[in-house]
Amino acid sequence: MQAYELDSPERLRNHLARERLLYQPQADGQGALRWQRLDDPAQPFVVPAEPPVFSAKAFFFAEREALFRYENGRFIALVPEARPQVLFGLAACDLTAVAYQDRFFAVDPHYQARRAATLLVGLDCAHSCRHGFCAMMDSGPEVRAQTADLILCPLAQRWLLLVASERGAEVLAGLALQPAPADWAQQRDAQALQVAVEQGEQEEIALGCAALNGETVDSQAWEALGLRCLGCSGCTSVCPTCSCFAPLQQPSAGGVVQERVWDSCLYQGFQQEASGHNPGATPGQRVQRFWYHKFGEDFRQRFGRDGCVGCGRCDAVCPGGIGVHQVMKRIGEP
Amino acid sequence: MQVIPSICTFCGVGCGLGLRVEGGRVVGVEPQPGHPVSAGQLCAKGWASGFAIDAGNRLRTPLIKEHGQFREAGWDEALALVASEFRAALEAVGPDGVGVISCAHATNEDNYAAQKFARAVLGTANIDHCARICHSPSVAGLGRSLGSGAMTNSIADIDEAELILVIGADVSENHAMIGARMLRAQARGARLIVVDPRRTRLARLADQHVQLRVGSNIALLNGLLHIIFANGWEDRAFLAFRCANEAALRAHVRALTPELTSAQTGVPVLALYELARAYSQARRAFIAYGMGITQFQSGTHNVIAVANLALACGQLGRPGTGVNPLRGQNNVQGACDMGCLPDVYPGYQKVSDPEVREKFARAWGVAQPPAPGLTSLGMSEAALRGEFRALMVLGEELVVTDPDQHKLARALQALDFLVVVELTLSETARFADVVLPAASFAEKDGTFSNCERRMQLLHKAIEPPGQARADWQILAALAERMGYAGMRWASAEEVFAEMAALAPPFSAISHARLEQAGGLQWPCDEAHPDGTAILHRHCFPRGRAQLIPVSQVEPDECPDADYPFCLTTQRLHFHYGGGAMTRKSPLLEREIPAGLLFIHPQDAARLGLGEAQGVRVASRRGALETRAHLTDDVPPGTVSMPYHFREAPCNRLTNSAQDPISHMPELKACAVALLPLPPGQAPRIELERPQEAEYAGL
Repeated sequence: MQAYELDSPERLRNHLARERLLYQPQADGQGALRWQRLDDPAQPFVVPAEPPVFSAKAFFFAEREALFRYENGRFIALVPEARPQVLFGLAACDLTAVAYQDRFFAVDPHYQARRAATLLVGLDCAHSCRHGFCAMMDSGPEVRAQTADLILCPLAQRWLLLVASERGAEVLAGLALQPAPADWAQQRDAQALQVAVEQGEQEEIALGCAALNGETVDSQAWEALGLRCLGCSGCTSVCPTCSCFAPLQQPSAGGVVQERVWDSCLYQGFQQEASGHNPGATPGQRVQRFWYHKFGEDFRQRFGRDGCVGCGRCDAVCPGGIGVHQVMKRIGEP
Repeated sequence: MQVIPSICTFCGVGCGLGLRVEGGRVVGVEPQPGHPVSAGQLCAKGWASGFAIDAGNRLRTPLIKEHGQFREAGWDEALALVASEFRAALEAVGPDGVGVISCAHATNEDNYAAQKFARAVLGTANIDHCARICHSPSVAGLGRSLGSGAMTNSIADIDEAELILVIGADVSENHAMIGARMLRAQARGARLIVVDPRRTRLARLADQHVQLRVGSNIALLNGLLHIIFANGWEDRAFLAFRCANEAALRAHVRALTPELTSAQTGVPVLALYELARAYSQARRAFIAYGMGITQFQSGTHNVIAVANLALACGQLGRPGTGVNPLRGQNNVQGACDMGCLPDVYPGYQKVSDPEVREKFARAWGVAQPPAPGLTSLGMSEAALRGEFRALMVLGEELVVTDPDQHKLARALQALDFLVVVELTLSETARFADVVLPAASFAEKDGTFSNCERRMQLLHKAIEPPGQARADWQILAALAERMGYAGMRWASAEEVFAEMAALAPPFSAISHARLEQAGGLQWPCDEAHPDGTAILHRHCFPRGRAQLIPVSQVEPDECPDADYPFCLTTQRLHFHYGGGAMTRKSPLLEREIPAGLLFIHPQDAARLGLGEAQGVRVASRRGALETRAHLTDDVPPGTVSMPYHFREAPCNRLTNSAQDPISHMPELKACAVALLPLPPGQAPRIELERPQEAEYAGL
């Protein structure tokens, strides 16, 4: 990887923003960090201490979008006209999730139109966030090769800029950069190791994962967890790898517009069949199914990695107190 | 894509959220980490906010009904018609024959404008809103006992409680973020006790579930006081220094032995002792209650009984304690605060006080009505008697949410003129002569007050559809047309400033100050410039709190041979009010069939009723058909229905018997008969609608 030294991330950011819409995590003044469009180049880039409320998912797999219009007996496709954009400051976990979604939506024209127009600038984490366990899930803390175009790494006194794709190299044209010090890779590795140490052993995740795949968890334990699931859809909304959607038909002038909207497998109606039969009839069955999709061996085989990237957002968003750590702890207990 | 900070528009918890705006519409929401109430979480309704205000079926222009049909009209024509109809009614029957029902969903600014329009432009004292059917007994009861009708403490006090006592509230479904907080408190060691006739989710998760018989709240609470006094578990110092009338209360409960209480409530004697000891001996005990206390003909006395228990045990005025009514709507606290009640002006200044009337007469430049006005049910009863002619309804779905639907529909049809201000053509709007299109919470600036008295700022995120406007703008334009120049505000901020200058509890609050994260809790005035998290720390507004002896009152209608089941009503996590907003989400709409009757499997077996089978439910006031869901959430003999579904409106069955003090109808208990439909026969849907009304465009 080509490595440069960078005096300030804002210089790179403003360079990239000249020809693209630029989004970065920004504090909203009310306590949240959200992906927002950069309108003012004087706005500083602040390294997030916690992940933004939403991952990058919605930039590609929109929470609500029109797929086609049916008008006067004709179907009219509504593929979005994506404008060039850059997501600046994506954490390793979220980039791993983008790579995961790239496989799932490989032939989805709506997803791919936005994805192709987007430059991804990753950001190595110098400290662990509160709920994160990316080191264990092999998705961080340092941005993984093949998941970004450019990678920023904050070291003690300076920034490293790593070129991770051909497109990443092209967009740097015209930006004056110094080569990185020779030991940049060692410094980066040492920092990543430090973050992994901060995250600890994460024994409950390992034990829970083993219990889930060993099918040693009885249905009562799942139902006890299910009683705490309100079916709010929070976990599936913030999960960077959840990808389920439902249809929504909207009347429009002279016809209908077919939209798709984010769905959630924790809803009772998600698997309900027209006959009334429901393979996920009880909350416990639905909770089990959700976590099997994140840690089950079958899914790991199919997608080449676990569905969970260890961002810990479900821990923060679940009003029932059954985010990943609590669930894995309970099912992993002997 | 931009994310605009806002406040959830569903229940009274007041969660923070970010509106995700793209292409001029709200495509979704994000929760608000760091928010003092919701702490980065939302319930299913909150997550569905984008669908709720979707432009799809929104009203875009005013509608005028002609020959039973709605047609589109411009603002000029519609407002001229509304003004002339109100003038005609005022000439015919005077100000007592007109009124306004305001909206607990709308902002404080909208509500201030609504009561000012009623009092200053129409000159009537007839102003009310749906607090009548949720927490009017709290305002009346806590007012009498403590001197103030709101939550005494804050939601964050749950974190400090050693014991949490929930009475008649399905918190994890209806106030989910408060329920979440209670479960977190339990996980760190707090004891959670739920008193409810239904085995709710929270009851199943609680350390103790006290499953009392429907409508036996006062018997239970008095019985607990008996045990507490008999064992010396009361807080003697608190009683001596902070309360009045202790001797009378002691004497009143002396004969109410645990055995008698157990017989009246169906709660075992041991469970009564366990609860009495746990609550009285906890160092910090937090009471939360909901409509299982208020929606009875004894609603005000039920609330007083709750206050008596807390006062006797000294569980008030400190962190982690309090008597805390969980309010139903996002701004029902605010609508009360703004004086959308027939007996108080903004800031709970009493209409019966001549000095207060003089103050508002001077401020508004119009003589004020001399006495309190009619409640919402009072207005509909007066309409049936022919004494009440013209009504404005802002955003309330009376036809689905008020008791005794047939009677309410007759009342609306008895009016000479009904104008409804709404987002969509609601069931109530179908009865209107004129419908005016309103802006939703994402389409205007303003403030909401949550149930812990926290005023929070909304930010306009998108333009309203078509010609829709904020309620306060509509009311101001109408006032202008009716010759009143005192409502020429340029912004919501100006409305708020006028209000704050007239209402002492809010005098130190402004839109600018509310820009700070988390807003401000009233009272917020010169003495409390940063607001007030806990009320009654050192004294009560009336000096000492009053211990008021109250006695058990049975529901007005109990099961008998003809109507052998007790019907109670409830809400579901996935839906809100009459369903007008939540049912626009394809995901929430998919969750629940349009109407349900919850029935215990034993009762179902006796009737030969299977899961999802159709069933006819009849009371003395009406009948409907819906589907049965067999569950031990309800005890044998008691059935329950949610009120969200116009297709199976439980309020066609409910009783309008009223609490004599607050005029709260007894929505929580009536008697019904059940008749299973033949298996395979779908329930018949009969909507309560005026005969001809249709609007081709919707």
